[in-house]
Order: sequence, then structure tokens, then C-alpha cells
Amino acid sequence: MENNKYDFLKNKKIFFIIPIAIAVITIITTLIIGVPVDIEFKGGTMLTYSYTGTIDVNAVKSTVEGMNLGTVGVSTGSAFGSDLETVQVSFASDEGLTAEVQVQVTETLRRQFSDNDLELVNSQDVKPSAGFSFFLKCFVAVIFSFILLIIYIGLRFKNIGGWSAGAFALVALANDVFMVFATFVFMRLPIDANFMAVILTILGYSINNTIVLYDRVRENRKLYGKKLTIDELVNGSINQSLTRSIKTTITTAVAVLSMCVVSLICGVESIVSFVFPMFVGLIAGCYSSIFIAGPAWTVWKNSHPEKPKKA
Amino acid sequence: MKQVKKPVFFIVFILIAVFTYFALAGFSTWYGDIETVYVRGVKDIRWGIDIRGGVDVTFTPSEDAVDVTNDDLDAARSIIETRMVEKNITDYEIYVDQNSNRIICRFPWQSDDDSFDPEQAVKELGETALLTFRKGYSGSLTTGQTYEDLEVVLTGTDVARASAVYSTESDGSHEWAVSLELNDSGKEAFKNATQEAYGTGERISIWMDDIEISAPTVNAVIYDGQASISGSFESADDAKALADKINGGSLPFKLVTDSFSTISPTLGTGARDAMAIAGLIAFVLICIMVIVMYKLPGVMAAISLAGQVAGTFAAVTGFFAFNDSFTMTIPGIAGIILAVGMGVDANVITNERIKEELAAGKTIDGALYIGFKRAFSAIFDGNITMLIIAVILMGAFGTPDSWCSILLTPIFTWFGVSTAGSIYAFGYTLAVGVVLNFLFGILTTRLMTMSISRFKVFRNPALYGGKKKTEGGAANGK
Repeated sequence: MENNKYDFLKNKKIFFIIPIAIAVITIITTLIIGVPVDIEFKGGTMLTYSYTGTIDVNAVKSTVEGMNLGTVGVSTGSAFGSDLETVQVSFASDEGLTAEVQVQVTETLRRQFSDNDLELVNSQDVKPSAGFSFFLKCFVAVIFSFILLIIYIGLRFKNIGGWSAGAFALVALANDVFMVFATFVFMRLPIDANFMAVILTILGYSINNTIVLYDRVRENRKLYGKKLTIDELVNGSINQSLTRSIKTTITTAVAVLSMCVVSLICGVESIVSFVFPMFVGLIAGCYSSIFIAGPAWTVWKNSHPEKPKKA
Repeated sequence: MKQVKKPVFFIVFILIAVFTYFALAGFSTWYGDIETVYVRGVKDIRWGIDIRGGVDVTFTPSEDAVDVTNDDLDAARSIIETRMVEKNITDYEIYVDQNSNRIICRFPWQSDDDSFDPEQAVKELGETALLTFRKGYSGSLTTGQTYEDLEVVLTGTDVARASAVYSTESDGSHEWAVSLELNDSGKEAFKNATQEAYGTGERISIWMDDIEISAPTVNAVIYDGQASISGSFESADDAKALADKINGGSLPFKLVTDSFSTISPTLGTGARDAMAIAGLIAFVLICIMVIVMYKLPGVMAAISLAGQVAGTFAAVTGFFAFNDSFTMTIPGIAGIILAVGMGVDANVITNERIKEELAAGKTIDGALYIGFKRAFSAIFDGNITMLIIAVILMGAFGTPDSWCSILLTPIFTWFGVSTAGSIYAFGYTLAVGVVLNFLFGILTTRLMTMSISRFKVFRNPALYGGKKKTEGGAANGK
């Protein structure tokens, strides 16, 4: 086949080792230092106040601790490129804090730090039971999407390479999902509803590049028949579908990256934790369809030669 | 092959331009200070509480409550509604999730109220209501008296149940009424009170805390604790609303907050403005990219993308004022931007094909024809999985009464409602973006490109990603 600019099969071991290595490091990291989980899922309370002037974090901490509400964490941050200085007070209470107690905390802090002009800008309070059922629901949504995609892949791949191709498409998908997870682990972003939304989006998006590739393989097999080895067939198909995969991913990535950069500059953290992992997922999706889905399939096909055609 | 006429480009272009203008700017007339909106623009978007600030709270019956029925939950919802209206919060959303016994309530920060205290508001919303039946009504109070000066006849616990009924009056007409069934504890007191008031034109008023919810005149003495309130209900909903309120007063449980979050308007609008800038940057960059990559068809694609964005806005605002408007959140904006990025896929598929066909020696007409013809199934294929996912997102993060949630109820039935309402809008804008991509990415781009290719100045294959102008190419074309 002409136009085979790149050989995607020559260094396939390296292509496989990179994601596996990242996966292993991620798993080890997760086991050692764990994954931060947002209070949306694990329950708890977090109150964020804006303040003016300077504030003594330890004083805030001891003031709140004096109210006997369990373990208290206090940290400072800023929003909108430090236009708005904030102080966060978090509680790891099992029951969450009732609105009444929250009112008390706010009033006490306001009294103690009257010079700092404290204003409540954000509060979040979730009961652990509610958090857990929300987590389960998100989890079910992801599993359900996976099942639907498997059915879809099954229907689609009946024609374009059989169940083995479908299985490797799933491997590629699993890689993408894992890379999103790794981003959360290494950036210490808490697992929250954003995480679930990103996972779902990436699942729906990245399967397409792989389908385009296998579609090309099928087309070329019809065109060239047995004249080409599996390796030549797949490598040629990857080269042909490369332009679309890359261009499509780039335009989507540009859209996501614009959001990421602007929200970083403006200091809107809630968006960063949504769009940055999505960016990573997009890149991983492009990578896995080019470097994993095709090459891994050739390894399988070469070790399991096709039986003579049935019909 | 069917030829697309020259004027088609201008017609489609003007249609998109006009539509985009109205979808963004809206259309309204002013009569003095009163604005009548005919077409909703961006300024009429109903922003979610993550943008304009507000409270998102989930109530659940406290743990000592047993046998909570759906009626109880409806009653509780109606209490919360009454209290919100009383606080002048009219723009609230409230949902009952019967599967998990939760009531979700979202309401915006009161913009004109600097001292608005969300924690206090939630605390008051969740308090148990005290329902009282009192002698006399608000109109019979003299100056200086409060409702507390009206003698209490019954309290909520004396009412066994209230329900909306369609009853036959003595004159044979039918109308909606609320039937009351009293407990033994209330029968005697109610009998005495009605006896006293009957025939005098006196009323017995019904209060929830300090709000008068109904003040019927007494038309009969009630001996057996079976009363009915009639005469003022225009519909079944009216009657049910009062029944819910009365049941609410006899609510056997206290509502506690299950999850509760607030966000201030400063934080929210700042985030929205950042997203607007990001969206603008992303749109401009993507347009530049398609134009650089695909030249003339790229320009057409950029015009269509503008139409896609406008279409998504129209789907959010409802476009015409009589349509319902969708609540827009930060992730919702992200969905629009993401869909624009993904939408380019349609153009990539089509134009790569056109390039290939041109390279193979086809004429412009032949290449365009094949490029667009082959594109549909590939674009459909590329979008169908995104559509599946968008629907699941809407189901998982949607409110219990959205159709996606209802569709997916069998799957989510054991789990609670979402505490993150903002992601629902992400699923929505993503789904709309994907669907509109079929319309704009395929139909309008195709019409415009094929029509403009009829003009002599645009008959250079280089404009379509082919090699320099070749006269002999036509020989190979179909």
C-alpha cells in the first residue's frame, strides 16, 4: 500500500509499555497515598469565605476547633487570579453539619475576625450516606455506558474484524479511562461528579477513532484481499486514518484547552478540574487508537491465524 | 447529480446569519418600562444557581420518620413551596424523588438582598410547619392584632388526611373540593367551632405558621369529622395544592438536610464570564483552523459552526418566548464549546474525502458530490456514541422529572437523586450540539459549498484542497 509514511508497528513494544508503566505507577501511587475524594461523594462539610486584609489560618483553625465539631481543616486560596482571597474551613463530620450549626460557625468567625470582613462565598454539606448513593449512581452510569458501548461495538465490529477487534477496542477504551483517572491521582484532584462526567465523555468520544481505524482495515481487506499481511494491512490503515484522527482530536483539544487556559488564568478551579482531565483523555484516546488498538490487534492476529473462511 | 443553484449560498447564509442574530440578541419590544420578549436571546438565558449564586439543598425525612408515603413527600414539598413564596423566592426549582425519599430544592440568591443568608433560609425551609385552624380570618383582625389572637380550633395533628375530590353539590353541579377527615382528637372541637360559626357568616381560617392559606365560610355544622372545603377551586391542581398544604401541616416527620451547598453570585458570574471568553477564543481558533485546513469549504464550515452554536443557544433559551427555557450552568457552557470542537469532525470527514477525490483527478463537482455523499454515514457513526453518552449523562445527573431520568429509571431506581444538577446541562448541550451537527455540519455546509462552487471565481480546485487548476481534470470526472 502506498502512502505508508510511518511504521506504527516497529516500536509497538514501546507504545504498549508507556501506558502500562503509567498505569502501574498510578496504581502504586493510589495504593500508597490514596485518591482524594470530594465531599460530594464521601460526605462532609466545607465552608468557603472571602476575606480582606490578612488572616491567620491557625487562629481560624483554633476558633473553629473551639466549637467542638470534630476534625477541622483550614486552608486559604484565591479565585479570579487572586482578586478574591478565600479561606476554606472543612469538617470531616459523619453527619454533616446542619444549617443551624453552619450559621453558628459563620457567626462565630465573623465576630472573631471582624476586621477581615468575612463573606460566605461557597458552602457544601453532604451527608455520607447521600454522598455514597450519589457515587453509586455515577458508578452505575459509567458501567451502564460501558455495557451500551460493548453492545454497540459488538454490532459494529461484527463486520469489521470480529470479536477480537472489539476486544482490543475495549482495551484502548480502558486505557483512556485509566489515563483520566491517573490525571486525577497525580494532580490530587478530588474524585467528584466532574470525574464521572469526564469519564463518560471520553468513553463516547474516543471509541470513534478506533472504529474509524477498523473500518479502514475492513475496506482495505476488501480492496487488497490476501495480498497484504496483517501487519501491512493494519499499518497502512493507521496511516490512512491518521489525518482524520489527529485533526479531529486537535480541534476538540483546542476547544478544551481554551477553556482550561482561560479558567487557569482566571482562577476558576471548578472548571480546571473538569477540562484538564478531559484534555488528557482526548490525547489518550488519540494515542490509544493509533498506537494500541491497531498494533495490539496485529499481535493477536499473528499469533492466532485465521482459520479457513467458513463462507 | 442534482445541481445546487447559485443563489442557494446567499439564501442559506442569510438564514443562518438572521437565525444567529436572533438566537444571540433576542427580539423584544418595549412599551414604557415593560419589555415584551418575542425571541429569547443570550441575555434571557435562565442561569443555574452555580452561575448566579444560590442554594442547592436536598431534604430528607429525619431518621426517626417511618413509613414515609409519597403523599407525605408531596405535602412536604408544598410546605417548602409555600415558605419560598412567602420569602419572595419565586424562581425556585423543586423536585420530589419518590425512590429515595428526597426533596431537592434549588433557588437563586436574592440579588436585591445584600443580607441574604442562605443558611438561615435553608434552616427555615426545613422546619416543621405548624398548621392551625383558627376562628375568624385575617380580614377580621383589628389593628394591633396578629394571627395569634385568633383562637386555635385545630392543629395539624388533628387532621387525619385531606384530599382533593370531585364532588357533587346540592344543586347538582360538580366541582373540585378538598375533603377533610379529622382524627377523634379534632372532631369535638371542630363540631363546637362550626356550630358557633354556622349561620353567622363567620369563617374558619387555615394557617401555616403565620400564613393564611385558606379562609372558608362555614356552611354546615360538622359532627362526624368529615368536612369539605369547596367553592374556590378552579382546577384539580388548585384543590390538590390546598390538600397538600393541609397534609403538610400534619406532617409526621421533620425534614433534615441531606446535602446542602451554596455559592455566591460573585463566584458564579466570574466563572461564567471566564467560560464566555474561553468559548469565544475556542470558536475563533477552530474557525481559523478549518479555514486554514480546508480553505473555501472551511469558510462554509465556519459559517455552519456559527449556526450550530446559535442553534444550541436557541435550544437552551427555547428561542420563542412561549417555549420553556432550560437552566444553563457552567458545565452546560462547556458542553457547547466541546460540541463545537467535536463538530469539526464532520468537516474533516467530508473535506479529506474531497481532497482525496480531487487528487484522484475528479472534477470539483464530482469530488464535492462524492465527498458529501459519503460523509453522512461516517458522521452519523462518529456521533451516535456521543449521543448515547449525552443521554446517559442527562439521566444520571438530571432531575427526577426529566424524560431522560424517567427513561433510565429502571437503572437508577435504587439510587438517590443527583446532588450535582449542573452536569445535567452538560449532557443537554452536548446532545443538542451533536444533533445540530447533523443539520449544520452536513446540510448547510453542503448546500453552501456546492452552491458557491458554481461561481466562476471559485472554480479553482486549489480552493478545495486540490492541486492547482487543471483543465484536463474534467475528463476523469463523473
